Amino acid sequence: MTEASILPLAAVLVSAVAMCLIIASYRYPNVREGWSVVAALTKFGIVASMLPGVMEGTTYYWSLSESLGVEFLAGIDFVLRADPLGMLFAMLASFLWIFTSFYAAGYMRGLDEHAQTRFFAAFAASLSTAIGIAFSGNLVTIFIFYELLSLVTYPLVAHNEDNEARIAGRKYLTYTFFGGGVFLLAGTVLVYWLTSSADPAGNAHLAFESGGIEMLAEAAAADPAIAQAAFYLLIAGFGVKAAVMPLHSWLADAMVAPTPVSGLLHAVAVVKSGAFGVARVILEVFGPGLIHDLPLNVPAIGEVGLNVPVAILAAFTLTAASIIAMRKDHLKRRLAFSTTAQLSYIVLGLSMLHPYAILGALFHIPAHAFGKLTLFFCAGAVHVETHTDYVSEMAGIGKRMPLTMSAFAIGAAGMAGMPLIAGFVSKFYMLIGSGSVGGGYWIFAAALILSGILNIAYLWPVVYTAFFESEDRHDAKPVLEFPPGGKRESYFADDEYATDGGEKPDSGHPQPAGDDDESESKGAGTPTELDDDEYEYAVDKYPSDHTASDDDHTDDGHDDTHNDAHDDHDDHHHGGPPASGWARHTPFSESTWLILVPISIIATGAVTLGVVPDYAVFLDLATYIVEGVFGVESFDELRGRSLAEALEVINE
Amino acid sequence: MSNLAELLPALLIAAPILLATVPIVLGLRFDRTGWSVAAITTTALFAATAYLAAAVYETGRVVHVLGGWGEPQGIGIELVADEFSVLIALLVTVTAAAVLAYTRTGGPRGNTFYTGYLLLVGGLLGLSMTGDVFNMFVFLEIVGLATYAMIASGDGPESAVAALKYLILGTLGASMYLIGVGFLFMATGALNMDVLGEAIPQIADNGGSDLTLLRAAFAFIFVGFALKVAQWPLHSWQPDAYQHAPDGVTPVIAALVSTVSAYALGRIMYNVFGPEFLTATPYLTEIVVTVGAVSVLAGSTLAVIQRDVKRMFAYSSVSQFGLIVVAYGLVTQTAFVGAVIHLIGHGVIKAGLFIGAGVVAVGYGARTVDEYAGLASNRPFAAGSIALLLIALIGIPPSAGFIGKWYIAVGAVEAELWPIAIVIFLSTMLTLAYSARLLEKMYFTPATGVDSPHPAGVATDGGRAGAVSIGMLGILIVTAIVAIGLGFAGGAFFEWLEPFTSEVFN
Repeated sequence: MTEASILPLAAVLVSAVAMCLIIASYRYPNVREGWSVVAALTKFGIVASMLPGVMEGTTYYWSLSESLGVEFLAGIDFVLRADPLGMLFAMLASFLWIFTSFYAAGYMRGLDEHAQTRFFAAFAASLSTAIGIAFSGNLVTIFIFYELLSLVTYPLVAHNEDNEARIAGRKYLTYTFFGGGVFLLAGTVLVYWLTSSADPAGNAHLAFESGGIEMLAEAAAADPAIAQAAFYLLIAGFGVKAAVMPLHSWLADAMVAPTPVSGLLHAVAVVKSGAFGVARVILEVFGPGLIHDLPLNVPAIGEVGLNVPVAILAAFTLTAASIIAMRKDHLKRRLAFSTTAQLSYIVLGLSMLHPYAILGALFHIPAHAFGKLTLFFCAGAVHVETHTDYVSEMAGIGKRMPLTMSAFAIGAAGMAGMPLIAGFVSKFYMLIGSGSVGGGYWIFAAALILSGILNIAYLWPVVYTAFFESEDRHDAKPVLEFPPGGKRESYFADDEYATDGGEKPDSGHPQPAGDDDESESKGAGTPTELDDDEYEYAVDKYPSDHTASDDDHTDDGHDDTHNDAHDDHDDHHHGGPPASGWARHTPFSESTWLILVPISIIATGAVTLGVVPDYAVFLDLATYIVEGVFGVESFDELRGRSLAEALEVINE
Repeated sequence: MSNLAELLPALLIAAPILLATVPIVLGLRFDRTGWSVAAITTTALFAATAYLAAAVYETGRVVHVLGGWGEPQGIGIELVADEFSVLIALLVTVTAAAVLAYTRTGGPRGNTFYTGYLLLVGGLLGLSMTGDVFNMFVFLEIVGLATYAMIASGDGPESAVAALKYLILGTLGASMYLIGVGFLFMATGALNMDVLGEAIPQIADNGGSDLTLLRAAFAFIFVGFALKVAQWPLHSWQPDAYQHAPDGVTPVIAALVSTVSAYALGRIMYNVFGPEFLTATPYLTEIVVTVGAVSVLAGSTLAVIQRDVKRMFAYSSVSQFGLIVVAYGLVTQTAFVGAVIHLIGHGVIKAGLFIGAGVVAVGYGARTVDEYAGLASNRPFAAGSIALLLIALIGIPPSAGFIGKWYIAVGAVEAELWPIAIVIFLSTMLTLAYSARLLEKMYFTPATGVDSPHPAGVATDGGRAGAVSIGMLGILIVTAIVAIGLGFAGGAFFEWLEPFTSEVFN
């Protein structure tokens, strides 16, 4: 049942309007941030108001040609449509934006960032286009919003206006427009051509249909090679944003952006739009049946389904990215590679085509979002409060930021798929799925399990170093770079700390490149009770730089990042504990409420999704989507079926 | 209704050419009348064209036979307003009227300049309306001469050299075209496009020496237009001409002169020779698409390495017209619609970009890409409009650039010319390469603080230094909005051209 409604359009436009208001009120920061919050709440309200209807089978749509009589392109309408799959993504993005808008205000003010108006405006615009992607009713509409999303997130990536940010911005534009403007457009044009030449009336069929576009299935039978090319072009187009290797390298570089961007956009809205696009292509453009039946002739192996190369690539990505993440010392980069890996879970689950795997993949979209957003929020909070970006500088930071690092531990456990946290549920379904398919698919199950272990290997050391190590005694990080058994080191040069007779700690820093201004103020916001002016400490190879006076320490360090934004240093390396070690803080005094409340709520959300997934709406939605794709009344009908049996259900 | 509409094609051409003398005459007594005369004339022309367009929409094509001398063979000279030509005439009159908002304070000034301006508009309208291949040559020459004069009105030796270069190469192009027309006349004995369009398929069927003549005619005409449209490697006049022409002139030239020449090429290819001839002649379409594809690649590559912003935009035109020539060579209905839309869209976008370059040069003193650093914080409206126009040029939807690219890409896929399709899809990245360079400079590079070598307000023609009037900035913003707004007209353009294309392709 479909129903014409203005609501999908309103949901998209709310933040576009907010963007204008944000720019207009650039003189009044409180009003400006107020608009963000109002828009976020309104957006979520509009999206949520459609939820009951959608769960009962109503699809709300808004069409440009029906409303205004404007045809976007010959034979192609501009359609926004709130269907179950779109609702899953829209609910997620709009819900998380509410808390991110508080957090972003706290973060940007805490660092006294420049160009905040541009930042908040681009942020609102990004959300607008993300919801547009969620509600797009056909391939051209999703292409439009996909391109616009690339465009409006570019200012956020290049925000710092230094060389590093500009280069990251260029890379970002190149990758995303290659994905959107070249691959996705080419794939869309091919589908347009295929369907319009197969249709006796010559009409193109680009609208998404649950279970696959029928006309495309007919056309693919006549011209399989072109259909296969279209499939891979579309997957590659969306795969760029989903950071599937080898198209992933923009994501780690995009971490130069402020942390709210890395959090909501580069862990949720932008990258998920890629994964979501893959879901649209697999479930609603080609459909699992057609993908499975369109054999790809591989020399020496024989015929394999179209999905298999995608699954192999995703399995490779999730393993390789996890291994790379273990070697990253920069926390946000480590999280970025973790995102790369986790997104490939989604792609892998979708490309296995089994109902359980698809269900797991769809549920992993919110599950990963809650977990990863928590992790990024924590990384950002640490950066705002202590200017610490590197894992190797975080020994004992649990004293300074107890609540933040506890939330980090929850997020990390979710990434690893520990029971009771969101990530477990999705991974569980995907494992069942890959097991049910049988055959050579055991290798994907193995990849999933291996990656779970690797997740622990790269995220646990962060939690461990924060809570169970101290400034003067800790292992050098990243663990993988140092000899087995770890290498004991201390932030302080004093020999008395090296009680175990360890080596002089001057070689402990893996990233010392070009840091000659190390002695500038450290430990923002931490009052230091130094009574010994002559106290020396060393954080890298140049101990001569490190005679610091009291004045340096009481300086609160905000100005320093601000200036930093315009110099061309490759490596902002101002972190680490103050000379007297981390000051002990209670969970309420470690940061401002603008930052702490969002962290707590998102972490709670991650636990909720893990403990009672049936009561949080996302699993229901995901189940409903799978039922729609396979054309069954209830998911129970798919229970215990193998892939071939499940695909037969579609054809019935 | 019909009487007036039938008279209009002639009036549209005669009025601006006659009125071109008025600024000079009035100039004997008054100082600054040129702008007013030009403004009134172009506005009236726009109104008349709009009326004509309405008539064409209602009744189909409107033909005006000059002097009422309609011979049975159709040798009489005709002016034709159909869906295709009216669209181009609208672009011409709208742009001509709009750019005046810039030249009022941005210069160039002087009554003689506006005489040349009106002459150019008259020539362009003639070129778009004519239904006669020899008259097309006449109008090509009128346009060419007016353009030389306008380019040369910039001061300094570079303008003179650039004008001379265009004079020589442009005349060469027109001469090639004339030779082609001579061959056509030898083969068919006709100059009227309709008559030619009927005669050529018969000759093509009969074969023989006349067919050879036809092929030679096409070769000469195509090379002539490739020069006029500035296709690689015959583009070398264009960057100099665009860079050194006065800032107020470049928008008109860039938006209209090459565009109308490209329109004329399309008219000759599809109305005179016809799709059957194009596809039946061996290697013809292959050569056309190759010329276009190479221009796309070469033009963008050259644009990326330019330092001067106007020069960069000029090379960008080489590449964008490459897309249009490719679309002509694909010989499908969709690609042809794409070519027409891209003609319009590119015209609007390029006019806007050159107006923007002028506004920035006058108000901010920046002419090279490096000098654009920090423009966004100092001139937010100019920078924002230029950014929107660049985005439209890249072809990010919704924008005029996107819908053109979409139809051309669909056309290439329909023709199953995969290498060409790849070039079209990659053209996005190539356009992005030079556009992003400018975007990054404007928005993400803080101004260096070093004074630019060009003092603000290089309005060498006597414009007030450093003064950007509301009209100049306003027309820039309006153009940017139009470039985005046209992005929603993809279906409308297709429908509008439907009667024309269905006749040509069936």
